[in-house]
Amino acid sequence: MTIGISTYLIYLSISIALTIWVARTLHKNGRVFLVDVFHGNEALADSVNHLLVVGFYLINFGYVTLALKLGYAVTSAEQSIEALSVKVGMVLLVLGGMHFFNLFIFSRMRRRSHVHPNNYPPVTPDTFTAVNQEA
Amino acid sequence: MQALTVLYDPDCGLCRRAHEWLAEQSKIVELKFMPCASDEARKRYPQLDHDLTKKDLTVVDDLGRVYFGPKGWLMVLWALVRYRDWSYRLAAPELLPTTKRVVSMISQNRYQISKATGLNR
Repeated sequence: MTIGISTYLIYLSISIALTIWVARTLHKNGRVFLVDVFHGNEALADSVNHLLVVGFYLINFGYVTLALKLGYAVTSAEQSIEALSVKVGMVLLVLGGMHFFNLFIFSRMRRRSHVHPNNYPPVTPDTFTAVNQEA
Repeated sequence: MQALTVLYDPDCGLCRRAHEWLAEQSKIVELKFMPCASDEARKRYPQLDHDLTKKDLTVVDDLGRVYFGPKGWLMVLWALVRYRDWSYRLAAPELLPTTKRVVSMISQNRYQISKATGLNR
């Protein structure tokens, strides 16, 4: 096995392992949020959670696959490590971005589902007046 | 709070357009509209200073709490399903002065704005 092919294989295994780890974290910890968003409807929360994780996998594996090509020949271990640092670093940044994007979606859904309990008016009245209810 | 009564200026095109827009929005609190300083308004609110209501939009709730101008607009937004969030945002201490300035500016120039945008009948 050439050093180039080992670089690709190492890249793939690190990226796949990282993606799976982040997706599992999201799946495990996002559930609580979603159950709250859907007011305790656990079946719906699990379903949405699963769909989100599938999307997460698709986007990340898609990126990992597209970014595989190095574009130059790797001849030494030093070059291989450098190439890996760039590629894995990019995967980490994409994962991080996706992760925050997911958190943003969770918090937005949560905020939306909690709009109506606010029943107090936004401002205090300027004055009071009598109301003739018959008129 | 069940309903808000909006005392609006029937002579201003912008206000009539706003009235039409409000009628289409889904509401959390019912909105009733009354031309300001009309007989109807004087009868319902005998103690209110009706000359003041001609200057700026006035909103009165069913318990007689009166909100003038920018506060009135914030109460109207608060009554709408889609804009309740915005009413709190615009009423936050950081934004309230700006909200008041912008609303007062629009309100004071409402006849010119109506004319410029062709909203006068």
